[in-house]
Amino acid sequence: MAKTADPDEELVRRVGQGDPAAIQAMVARKLPRMLMLAQRMLGDATEAEDVAQEAMLRAWRQAPRWAPGQAKFDTWLHRVGLNLCYDRLRRRREIATEAPPDRPDEGPAPDRGLLAMETGARVEAALAKLPERQREAIVLCHYQELGNIEAAGLMNVSVEALESLLSRGRRALRTALADMAPEAVRAANG
Amino acid sequence: MGKAGAGTMTMTYERFEYLTDAYGGDLRRWPEAEREAARALRDADPRAAVLLREADGLDALLDAASRPAPSHALREAVIASAAGAGLGAGSKARRRGAIGPLAWLSGAGWAAAACAGVVFGVNLTSHLTADVQADAVLYQASLAGADDTEVLGG
Repeated sequence: MAKTADPDEELVRRVGQGDPAAIQAMVARKLPRMLMLAQRMLGDATEAEDVAQEAMLRAWRQAPRWAPGQAKFDTWLHRVGLNLCYDRLRRRREIATEAPPDRPDEGPAPDRGLLAMETGARVEAALAKLPERQREAIVLCHYQELGNIEAAGLMNVSVEALESLLSRGRRALRTALADMAPEAVRAANG
Repeated sequence: MGKAGAGTMTMTYERFEYLTDAYGGDLRRWPEAEREAARALRDADPRAAVLLREADGLDALLDAASRPAPSHALREAVIASAAGAGLGAGSKARRRGAIGPLAWLSGAGWAAAACAGVVFGVNLTSHLTADVQADAVLYQASLAGADDTEVLGG
């Protein structure tokens, strides 16, 4: 297998040696990414924190025996985070709840204005309603900013299948959020 | 797919539309191998630029979703978990099998030292076999609450 250039390689090596500064740096670099991944996949802040914490714990255990060149550490960590999310989503399906909790009203609210929080809530609700695989594709490519080959690998699908999931997901989001004016959204984004 | 031509890659409008549907309006999210051809088509074909602007609207919506930031408590818990996993200050020394200086001030340390003295005394008065000495070392280890690595090194 060709050696993979990994921007985290040196940091992982230092973490594996127990360097406290490296541990702090790894937390600053990866914890927000794991939290974002889990939050977008699960739509639940508490569960997302649990997943992010567990993923980081596995990173600590892995660091001393990490073999550079096989895969990027960030990809490996995403695999760990995704598997933890899958476990929780599977458990939810087994419990077979009716409607997902804490979904805000999705009706348009032109008279209330497009405040940033309202816009965010609408988008999050629309994301949460996407089929799981479409949401996962958008989370990995848009929010986590992974490359298409990396994202397809994590999802165990071809790049073409990933692109199909992305297209369908984006189309569904466009429909769900059709009443929201892009200019107002840009203003809310600051 | 982009096509080779005159030493550069070109892209059809249909391919551009397909990729815009998938990756959105920011070319930095597009497949790396096709970005250059996409930029060329965007600059050459006004229809392509319109597609990007439309896709950019959805990108802006996606970016409006809140970005959760780790709380101080979560960060602290994660850093603490590194120590729990055997990382952090002193982990190198522990792996080398060294016993920290404070260990000798602990009760277990004194017990181990006393036990060593007993073993030494017994050695003076009897023919202690190697097996018994080994048992004594293990006994010291159990008194000190240390693992084999710390007592025997390695």
